[in-house]
Amino acid sequence: MSSHADVVVISAGIIGASVAWHLSEKKVDVLVLDKSDPCSGTSGACDGMVFLQSKKPGVHLAMAMAGRHRFDNLARELDAEIELRCRGGIMAVTSAAELAAVTRFIQEQNRAGLGVSLLDARQARDLEPCLSTDIFAATFCPLDAQVNPIYLTLAFLDAARRHGAKVLSRTPVMDIRITPRGVYAIDTPRSIIETRTIVNAAGVHAPEIGKMVGLEIPITPRRGQILVTGPMPPLLSRCLISAGYVAAKYDPDIAGTGSMGISIEQTARGNFLLGTTREFAGFDTTASLTAAKKILSRTQAVIPGLANARLIRTFAGLRPFTPDGLPILGHVSSRPGFIMAAGHEGDGIALSPVTGQIIAELITGTTPGISLTPFHLERFFRGTVS
Amino acid sequence: MIFKKRCDVAIVGGGVCGLAAAATLADQKLDVLVLDENRYLGGQVLRSLPWPGNASGIHKIFRSRPRLVDKTATPSVTILNHTQVMGIDKDLEILAEKDRKEIIGIRPQMVLAATGARETFVPFPGWTLPGVMAAGGVQTLMKGAGVLPGQYMVVAGMGPFLTAVAGLFLKNKGMPTAILDFGKRADTCRLLVHGFRQGAKILEGVRNLTGIFLAGVPCRYRTMVVAAQGSRELEKVVAARVDSLGRIIGGTGKTYKTGCLATGWGFVPNLELPMQAGCSLTHDPDLGGWVVAVTHDFETSIPGIFAAGEITGIAGASISMIEGELAALGILKKLGRNVDVHRMAALQRQRKQSLSFSTWFNRLHRVPDAVFCAIPDTVLICRCEHITMGEIKTAVEKGYDTPAMLKKVLRCGMGLCQGRTCGPVVNRILAALTRRSAEAFPVLPVRTPVKQVSVRSFLR
Amino acid sequence: MTRNLRIPGIVRGSRIQFFFNGREITAFKGETVLAALMAAGIKTLGVDPHGKGRGALCGMGVCYQCRVSIDGRPGRRACMAQVRAGMVIETEKDLP
Ligand SMILES: Cc1cc2nc3c(=O)[nH]c(=O)nc-3n(C[C@H](O)[C@H](O)[C@H](O)COP(=O)(O)OP(=O)(O)OC[C@H]3O[C@@H](n4cnc5c(N)ncnc54)[C@H](O)[C@@H]3O)c2cc1C
Ligand SMILES: Cc1cc2nc3c(=O)[nH]c(=O)nc-3n(C[C@H](O)[C@H](O)[C@H](O)COP(=O)(O)OP(=O)(O)OC[C@H]3O[C@@H](n4cnc5c(N)ncnc54)[C@H](O)[C@@H]3O)c2cc1C
Ligand code: FES
Repeated sequence: MSSHADVVVISAGIIGASVAWHLSEKKVDVLVLDKSDPCSGTSGACDGMVFLQSKKPGVHLAMAMAGRHRFDNLARELDAEIELRCRGGIMAVTSAAELAAVTRFIQEQNRAGLGVSLLDARQARDLEPCLSTDIFAATFCPLDAQVNPIYLTLAFLDAARRHGAKVLSRTPVMDIRITPRGVYAIDTPRSIIETRTIVNAAGVHAPEIGKMVGLEIPITPRRGQILVTGPMPPLLSRCLISAGYVAAKYDPDIAGTGSMGISIEQTARGNFLLGTTREFAGFDTTASLTAAKKILSRTQAVIPGLANARLIRTFAGLRPFTPDGLPILGHVSSRPGFIMAAGHEGDGIALSPVTGQIIAELITGTTPGISLTPFHLERFFRGTVS
Repeated sequence: MIFKKRCDVAIVGGGVCGLAAAATLADQKLDVLVLDENRYLGGQVLRSLPWPGNASGIHKIFRSRPRLVDKTATPSVTILNHTQVMGIDKDLEILAEKDRKEIIGIRPQMVLAATGARETFVPFPGWTLPGVMAAGGVQTLMKGAGVLPGQYMVVAGMGPFLTAVAGLFLKNKGMPTAILDFGKRADTCRLLVHGFRQGAKILEGVRNLTGIFLAGVPCRYRTMVVAAQGSRELEKVVAARVDSLGRIIGGTGKTYKTGCLATGWGFVPNLELPMQAGCSLTHDPDLGGWVVAVTHDFETSIPGIFAAGEITGIAGASISMIEGELAALGILKKLGRNVDVHRMAALQRQRKQSLSFSTWFNRLHRVPDAVFCAIPDTVLICRCEHITMGEIKTAVEKGYDTPAMLKKVLRCGMGLCQGRTCGPVVNRILAALTRRSAEAFPVLPVRTPVKQVSVRSFLR
Repeated sequence: MTRNLRIPGIVRGSRIQFFFNGREITAFKGETVLAALMAAGIKTLGVDPHGKGRGALCGMGVCYQCRVSIDGRPGRRACMAQVRAGMVIETEKDLP
């Protein structure tokens, strides 16, 4: 059996779902394929922070800032509850050494137009009384927000379906061939699907899809563990990371030593999500209790009230890591019609609306508002012959 | 972490199964550790009063109990009670919370999971009212604390466990208002005939039924609770006659005034720990649905982890005990000890015989799918996250028809009990609504901690 | 007042007092909090977000419906905790 779609989006993760919705809104005939249920990859095993403060000034921050505005009207556009809360975010500084680094970091961010302010310990506790008295200082960015990543992914998909997109879950892409007529033929256990345009949004599995068309895609899984507490009364109203988080994120040497920064958010339901690790451990998603112990002692040091919490679950997700920390987006010159939208590492939730928008613009022939050159796959192969 | 302990075999679960295994291993002078969340060993069947001096007890099914406990009271068996196991990691290290205040680590050579079973339900309007309890919960209250849940009590659900609970209640001077059984009256008779070969069990049943009959307690068959009512707590139970598919027969409604309703629809295995450890499951509709897959020697798909008792199939206490011993022998074999092959063969034979009864029994007490389809939309299915039947139906109509998707869309099973109560019910509801076999719906993945622990324990 | 719900003829532990929502209640050492409360005729252990009562279901530590605050620690299972002299037990209101 064979069928046809103008665009086939591989994956119903948050990126694929957003791409599908943006395309369907532009009346493009789109089919979404996922080997599993929607949102069962990384997008279902992560935090929901829309954090700008954690982004490195440069293209990364520019993209995140462009993307942040999309959240303001998102719930209305999608006509769904996505548990978006825009109360700003906090970065806790725990030592004088950290303070020096952080001061430089936010100076650059402020130069880039992101309003970040430095708070002393007292001001920080005025904002979030649950913070420990041992906090050295904190930074605050009013634009930081949080969202429920699962609800957002499903809302993208629901809205896409309402606009006519087809979603086939539990349908793995097994192989991709090029037919004599020059179109892609996608093999799935159900049928063969022909299309001229494929969007590879398979997250950490994007390299497998790449291999099917002879492309090497440098995305590796970087595991992050998260602990979930039982629902607690409102304690923390903003999302919070530690300065060490930014270090662990951008300095693989630090990450390699097992160092970790922390991230804390309290969900709309009241559960705390406590994170996290950044480990290269292949596709293994087991969460270790050793890591749990570390995460608990570090997060509780920042919010002492967590001592009263009950740990109800742990989970681990795989961030789609790229060597330079930037996602891989846009056309691949050697493979016409094959478009990349993967490798968002720890920012896929925050960058999902803007990614969907850019890719949809690209496919419908509009020039995207952001230059895609720094995000092309080819950046990794400069100087090599393809 | 306070201490790390090594041992030959760690047994999780001190019920009949775990104790039978411990006794067998102790005979061979192995260093055995029995971990149980409860303060007292015995599990569900051997549960008894915590105070010495009650030798006669209020309930004594298991004559062998003293022997079982004596045997484990040898120097080679260490009991870690009030110890909740959180998980087993790859190198078989067990992590547990002891006395709710410290995390301990145990490094055994082999593990036996004997985590037993829990009750399952058919939710009905008002089942969340205080006063509505699991039949097993009421039994536990009487057996484990010598307390009645009230003066009067309606017992409802399905199967002979109802008469067991009602009988115990009556024996202790409670007054059962009525017994409402979904099964046919004829099933009870068939059970008595068929179970005759089962010896002691049947005696207990006959004694219970006679007591109930003599006390004039109404026993209604093919009857279901339609609603539990009361302004703040349970005040009355409305029941009606049903046909074999659970459809209510009009005009048969009857109201019983009572402050306590014990409801029980059978047992489901506690699969959380073996699942967290990565053990494969298998689906057997006649042994309780999803159960842990084991070899002839009761080893799971994870080398070194054995499983026995109710988690390999809901089959009753005597089989759990046989399996406990068999698993112990399997462990000894794997450890290179000499085992009595004749004993093994004899136990396997006994098990096979009893299993055919259990299979027949479970088939007889299978709740039809239609009963789950008929649950009214307003009834809460997931108590922890307040998810109703109506919300589940709407989600299924939208195509979210797996337990994993319901969890994502509705938070069903995401709460404090992590789907222990709603999980088995949701699986039946999904199978019924989508007309697929329950096998099509995998159990939700389980991760550490298999039961919640306090952050404080971790910080010590 | 209901009849004494403790089964007669049982050797019990020593008599102790504890507090439930400020009310002093007699129990016996060795009983679970749930047993002690049920014996005193108390079935409502918490309040759900809609203001409805919540009570014990499984009685064996599985369902978490019997959670109460014990000596200031929230979310303890009444059916698994042992009652102690002077214990202060309070019902909790569930979060919405
Ligand atoms: C612990 C942790 C915390 C995080 N916190 C945040 C945060 O606070 N904020 C933020 O913005 N980001 C965060 N992230 C990052 C974010 O979760 C990811 O960047 C994002 O989810 C990636 O989405 P995706 O759609 O690319 O991938 P996925 O969600 O993994 O989707 C990929 C999909 O591809 C499917 N697939 C794979 N192979 C095939 C095939 N052969 N055929 C068909 N389908 C296939 C999979 O089934 C899967 O559904 C976090 C990540 C982790 C791990
Ligand atoms: C409420 C109830 C009442 C029952 N009453 C009867 C009856 O009257 N007669 C009858 O024949 N059968 C009864 N059964 C059936 C009964 O389950 C079996 O017959 C028998 O108890 C099975 O023995 P077992 O050793 O496999 O499990 P169990 O006796 O259930 O023992 C399992 C033990 O493991 C412990 N455990 C589980 N998980 C963990 C963990 N993570 N950490 C630490 N400890 C853990 C539990 O606390 C429990 O003590 C009842 C079942 C239930 C659920
Ligand atoms: S009554 Fe179920 S956990 Fe206590």
